Amino acid sequence: MRVPFPSAREAEIAFNSLRVDAEPRRGGTKRSLRLETDALLVHWVAKEARSLRVSVNGFLEHLNLVVLTMEQFGPPVEQA
Amino acid sequence: MVIAIGFEGSANKIGVGIIRDGEVLSNPRKTFITPPGQGFLPRDTALHHRQNVLQILKDALDEANISPREIDVICYTKGPGMGAPLVSVAVVARTVSQLWRKPIVGVNHCIGHIEMGRLVTQADNPTVLYVSGGNTQVIAYSERRYRIFGETIDIAVGNCLDRFARVLKLSNDPSPGFNIEQMAKKGKNFVQLPYVVKGMDVSFSGMLSYIEERAPSLLSKGEYSPEDLCFSLQETVFAMLVEITERAMAHCGSQQVLIVGGVGCNLRLQDMMKIMASERGATVCATDDRYCIDNGAMIAQAGAEMFKSGHVTPWDETFCTQRYRTDEVEVTWRS
Repeated sequence: MRVPFPSAREAEIAFNSLRVDAEPRRGGTKRSLRLETDALLVHWVAKEARSLRVSVNGFLEHLNLVVLTMEQFGPPVEQA
Repeated sequence: MVIAIGFEGSANKIGVGIIRDGEVLSNPRKTFITPPGQGFLPRDTALHHRQNVLQILKDALDEANISPREIDVICYTKGPGMGAPLVSVAVVARTVSQLWRKPIVGVNHCIGHIEMGRLVTQADNPTVLYVSGGNTQVIAYSERRYRIFGETIDIAVGNCLDRFARVLKLSNDPSPGFNIEQMAKKGKNFVQLPYVVKGMDVSFSGMLSYIEERAPSLLSKGEYSPEDLCFSLQETVFAMLVEITERAMAHCGSQQVLIVGGVGCNLRLQDMMKIMASERGATVCATDDRYCIDNGAMIAQAGAEMFKSGHVTPWDETFCTQRYRTDEVEVTWRS
């Protein structure tokens, strides 16, 4: 999955907010996040379609929350 | 001067609180309430929190009349708690931490309760009884740790009460524990229930099974009313809690009890604890429902103490954990 953002800084913020939580242990799904300039790249590996769907849905819900947070409480403060 | 903002959402309550040097500037909160007979599940609870967290954050900032620029540290509940709700709230905390370029502190939920209890009651070095839907512990501070002297070996006392409320189909609004408390006031007959204290520890699962199993027949025979059952359950579980607390006080030579956590709101529990304490020549400290029940300000308060004494959570450690023992945290802010 590739998610474009308005700026590299915003992509970085989303990346950092979403990368630290591990997938549930029993889920059988692996997820990795990577930054590509102003886009967020997400890669999943799963054994079952069901657990993949659960993981992708969960990620999208959190991504949506990050986007809303940036929209309502941004823009990012410039580097001091 | 330290201004801290705290995010709490480890169970069915979502709250954001702002504290400035021990003063609570704002503390809005919302509770996810399920229909009678049902408990809250992680996925639905997380959805509720995601739908409400940004509005509550806005309310907290407006009420405190604080701009993000003035905030010194962002605090969130690292754990323990339900996985999905914890992460939903932490994601927002991490995002605003980066947007506003502020340090972030991951707070242990139990220590949040203790520090808010200490702040509000000004208790100096109490024996702490921490009782809620997710936790039941007797804690005393010693050598830079909040030591767990006794605890439940299965379910929390609040969990036992909440599940019994489901059996009786009591309303979950404002909380099942509160509704059991109101029913218990009208109870007149005591039903003997298993009393399971194990030294400093307690167990509630047997009692819950016992009363769940017998409630339908006791009620249908007309021997007892729902009020009697609520009364009996409270008397039994609270007596157990008082016993283990007293045992800890005796071991530590403590003269103060602090009751924290959602079940700490219960006036009957406070009364029973006061009777025990007065017989020992000790005092009881308790807070009201603004701070007993999970809230954002308690996370801000604990986070502020941590921050002032040098704690900042490295970014790679800003994850959430469903299990986070109270005694895992090094308490650098107390002597």
